Amino acid sequence: MAYVSMGEAHRRITEYLNRFCGAVSYQDSPMLCRLLSFSSNSPSLLSLADALNVFQDASSLIRQSDKFSEYGEILAHLFRSLQSYRVGNLVEAYLAFENFANAFVQEFRNWESAWALEALYVVCYEIRILAEKADKELTSNGKSPEKLKAAGSLLMKVFGVLADPYLVFFFLKLYGKGPKRVGALYVTCQLFKTYFKLGTVNLCRSVIRSIETARIFDYEEFPRRDKVTYMYYTGRLEVFNENFPAADTKLSYALQHCNPKRERNIRMILKYLIPVKLSLGIIPKDELLQKYNLHEYMNVVQALRKGDLRLLRHALQEHEDRFLRSGVYLVLEKLELQVYQRLMKKIYIIQKLSDPARAHQLKLEVIAKALRWLEIDMDLDEVECIMTILIYKNLVKGYLAHKSKVVVLSKQDPFPKLNGKPVGS
Amino acid sequence: MAAEQKATTEEVKMDLFEDDDEFEEFEINQDWVENEEQVKEVGLQWEDDWDDDDVNDDFSHQLRKELETISAAKK
Repeated sequence: MAYVSMGEAHRRITEYLNRFCGAVSYQDSPMLCRLLSFSSNSPSLLSLADALNVFQDASSLIRQSDKFSEYGEILAHLFRSLQSYRVGNLVEAYLAFENFANAFVQEFRNWESAWALEALYVVCYEIRILAEKADKELTSNGKSPEKLKAAGSLLMKVFGVLADPYLVFFFLKLYGKGPKRVGALYVTCQLFKTYFKLGTVNLCRSVIRSIETARIFDYEEFPRRDKVTYMYYTGRLEVFNENFPAADTKLSYALQHCNPKRERNIRMILKYLIPVKLSLGIIPKDELLQKYNLHEYMNVVQALRKGDLRLLRHALQEHEDRFLRSGVYLVLEKLELQVYQRLMKKIYIIQKLSDPARAHQLKLEVIAKALRWLEIDMDLDEVECIMTILIYKNLVKGYLAHKSKVVVLSKQDPFPKLNGKPVGS
Repeated sequence: MAAEQKATTEEVKMDLFEDDDEFEEFEINQDWVENEEQVKEVGLQWEDDWDDDDVNDDFSHQLRKELETISAAKK
């Protein structure tokens, strides 16, 4: 920490107070954003923090002026938070910021238009980031992390303020412009990030319900960047619920409308969209996998193209940890049935080349031999079981002649394509 | 052994609140220009008619050889 004289400290604090009150008076949102972005570690905020730690009694400064004392409570908490943040006392920093945020949101409710919406976004972001840092500090001290969870509750409260129908209608009628409710999607996305990090994704349900069914929201009004983020997270939830057509719609939206320069985000979308598309019988081109460094999917795609069950198993094993972490392992494992279908089709085509008259009869014994070649050991009963499943799921059209141990394929379209629909639908 | 266990617990605790795939924040003040070309391009990176009748690849050739040994054995 640099040395700061009392005089200089006084000057810096007063300057900040003037900027803050000025920003509020002139509804200067970008300025307010800058004044609140702790995690940006801007030189001006850091030098303010140093000044506060030297001066120690900023409250007296605030009290001296009516202009400042109007926001006395907000500023006191803010300063306390910044001081703690500067000296690396992150739990204290979070707690003080929580108090600041509560007070700030109360003021925000009273301000007419939504001029301070972006500043509110900054506050929400800082709540989450500070909570994460606080939890790291807690765990490194052998204590139980609980601040991120608290942040989730606080963000829910903020969401509630933005979704408050009384506020919305009242202010909409009076002032018309810039309703606050369009901020709700940003807060929702901060909530998603919080819940995903905590692993409590079930808590997403209530906000999603509010966004998608409450009549005060018009989904089209939300800014595109928030819609992209929203679709990404709700798309991921659909993947977890194995609701593939919905996942496809949402993740595809995110992909198409994401800022093309943000390649890491695009890669994340694809990471979840690819298993979904594969489950719908659609495969990504190699260029796509190359461009976004998604090599873990290459062998999976090859396995599906060829009907190579051994390659699929190998691919799942090779990247097991990665697939498990992202939660797509089960989705990819279920592709096995589609790979079986492709293999059966290959066997059928090969048989047609040498003996077209009898090609539509697949002997279980022949299938077993092909499987053994692919290092899958099954007796005829097990093969029969697999074939029954394939028929049941409409991946194979035909019937099982149990006594003769043969699958008799339909003469027409024995291996129906998925055509963008999930298996068995 | 005890040290090992402690290390794993710590690892688990740190891992506790992780999401490998947290979406990066978009800048609040800037919206990006949507390029129609780019939107379309992304859409064209998928194939839905890959499921053809072509058996000229290596895998199919090897499969065919494998199947032929069955019929050969039978004769």
